[in-house]
Amino acid sequence: MRATSTPAPQFDLRDLTLRLSGRTLLDGITLTANERRIGIIGRNGSGKTTLARVLAGLIPPTSGTATLNGADMMHDRKAALRNIGILFQNPDHQIIFPTVREELAFGLLQLGRSKSQVATQVTDILSKFNKSHWEDAATHTLSQGQKQLVCLMAVLAMAPKTVLLDEPYSGLDIATRLQLQRYVARIDTTVVLITHDPDALADFDRVIWVDGGKIRADGPPATVLPPFVAQMHDWGALDDLADLPD
Amino acid sequence: MERNIARIALFAALIAALGFLPAVTLGFGVPITAQSLAVMLCGTVLGAKRGALAVLLFLALVALGLPLLAGGRGGLGVFASPTVGFLVGFPIAAFTTGLIVERWKGPLPLVASVASIIGGVVVLYVFGAMGLALMLGKTFPEAALLVTAFIPGDIIKAVLAGGITSGLAKARPDSLLSRA
Amino acid sequence: MISLTSPTKIWAHRLPAGVKLAALPLTTLALFAVSAPAPLGLACVATAALYLSAGPLFARAGITSLRPLWPFLLVIALWHGISGEIAAGLTISLRLINAVALANFVTMTTPLSDMIAVLSWLLTPLRKLGLSTRAIELSIALVIRFTPALTHKGERLAEAWRARARRRPSWKIITPMAALALDDADHVALALRARGGLEPPPTSPPNPSSFPK
Repeated sequence: MRATSTPAPQFDLRDLTLRLSGRTLLDGITLTANERRIGIIGRNGSGKTTLARVLAGLIPPTSGTATLNGADMMHDRKAALRNIGILFQNPDHQIIFPTVREELAFGLLQLGRSKSQVATQVTDILSKFNKSHWEDAATHTLSQGQKQLVCLMAVLAMAPKTVLLDEPYSGLDIATRLQLQRYVARIDTTVVLITHDPDALADFDRVIWVDGGKIRADGPPATVLPPFVAQMHDWGALDDLADLPD
Repeated sequence: MERNIARIALFAALIAALGFLPAVTLGFGVPITAQSLAVMLCGTVLGAKRGALAVLLFLALVALGLPLLAGGRGGLGVFASPTVGFLVGFPIAAFTTGLIVERWKGPLPLVASVASIIGGVVVLYVFGAMGLALMLGKTFPEAALLVTAFIPGDIIKAVLAGGITSGLAKARPDSLLSRA
Repeated sequence: MISLTSPTKIWAHRLPAGVKLAALPLTTLALFAVSAPAPLGLACVATAALYLSAGPLFARAGITSLRPLWPFLLVIALWHGISGEIAAGLTISLRLINAVALANFVTMTTPLSDMIAVLSWLLTPLRKLGLSTRAIELSIALVIRFTPALTHKGERLAEAWRARARRRPSWKIITPMAALALDDADHVALALRARGGLEPPPTSPPNPSSFPK
């Protein structure tokens, strides 16, 4: 069922701050967003992944609030499951079960579906991706790209309103990456893509550049990406690898 | 809650994985299997209750037919063999080890080593010898005599467990549930 | 992960797992109640017949799985040979071989999925009492998922060690392995939480599909 009143903005972040063992990972992030394709860009250690985990309600912020479609993902886990599905950067951190079938079934069982319903839906999603022969495969024998695809299928099977992808293409070869990108492009719902690669965001509606836990720039790709690329090349010429985190 | 389950399951997997690894060596090149060391670590790292649960989970999978014991053994047969006492003793050893680390707030390397000796050697061997006595029709002292040769090696493992535990406390400061 | 179920399928695979698992402890108790070599010898013949009924390949696998018993049989032979209590030694040895062989037989003829089904059935009373046994079922799956993964990482660590050392890896690789296990546990905890955690929220109507078209 859909709410009939004006919908709350999808993402509503207010003064989001996160400190962990003395380090400030997120520093007062405030934004609202309604776009269907949102990119979050930044270099390694900029706070992108932390932001993703807070958005998905996996870790609590130190202060500030984050809501999605009006619900707090951290405390309302029931709403969270329907509102957001997250694909982790490393599929090995996401896959819980020994076989593909169990991995896909888990999330659906968590939504309270019956076992027979779940079995049908697992078969369904596998055949939609033309991967029916994967059903009994052992997850640890799959290649990195195949694991990533299993994770994506597991997330999409739960039909969340927003799909959050954290660096889904890192560690994949070009061919695998292009295939996965094609699957992502076809996702028929809101997508938030976290990446350090500007090329992946070229046709997105909005790009948010995160740097040092703060929003450095926010707008359409055409205005955010060129300065981002320029800055990366500037930094690349320096020796800032020498700096240790405090 | 999710974190507890995950840690218990991952330590059960660690016991199995350390049994699969080709034997690692002590300082003098003596190969050892690290499986009983992993049982001690369950106690020193996860604490009494969670440590014992991790070991029980591991044994349940062995009983279900997975070859997770060192040397690829497993199945119901191992619960009918003379070494069954050691298997029964495993969770109790982890529990005792964990309990000592939880209660005695001394320096971690020392506490974890002593706890591993008491739990992972003394308690374990009492159960192990009782099992042998029962299965081989011997008295307890006779059975104890049969296993004394293995005790020095396990005492070394217990001391290593102490070092590994304090190493983990440094590498992952908030990981030590036994001291949380 | 490969379980110890025999790849050669025999008649006993078709027996219900519950029946086999109930018969095993009863038979084992009976073996311990008997303390004369003659009836135990007969029982051994019966067990051997059980294995042979499944064909020579299965029987050979059965003998291989008894191999860990040899040191103990040797100790008993020496002990009782010296003390002269031959009958007692024979009783102990025959009982041991028999009990282990029967238990192995059940393991060899019962697939992992059937074993888990029996375990889940045994837990029914807990569920009736309102306790969740989901955690147990979930942790079994987690161990099966992560044992090969951790073993693999351990092998990588051992390789990294060998790449820079002349000797075999020492006990020092256990600390990083345990640290990896703790890290994996943190990731799993998050992955579980991302999909609803241990206690799934009550049924809700599905969203419109977000499958690719």
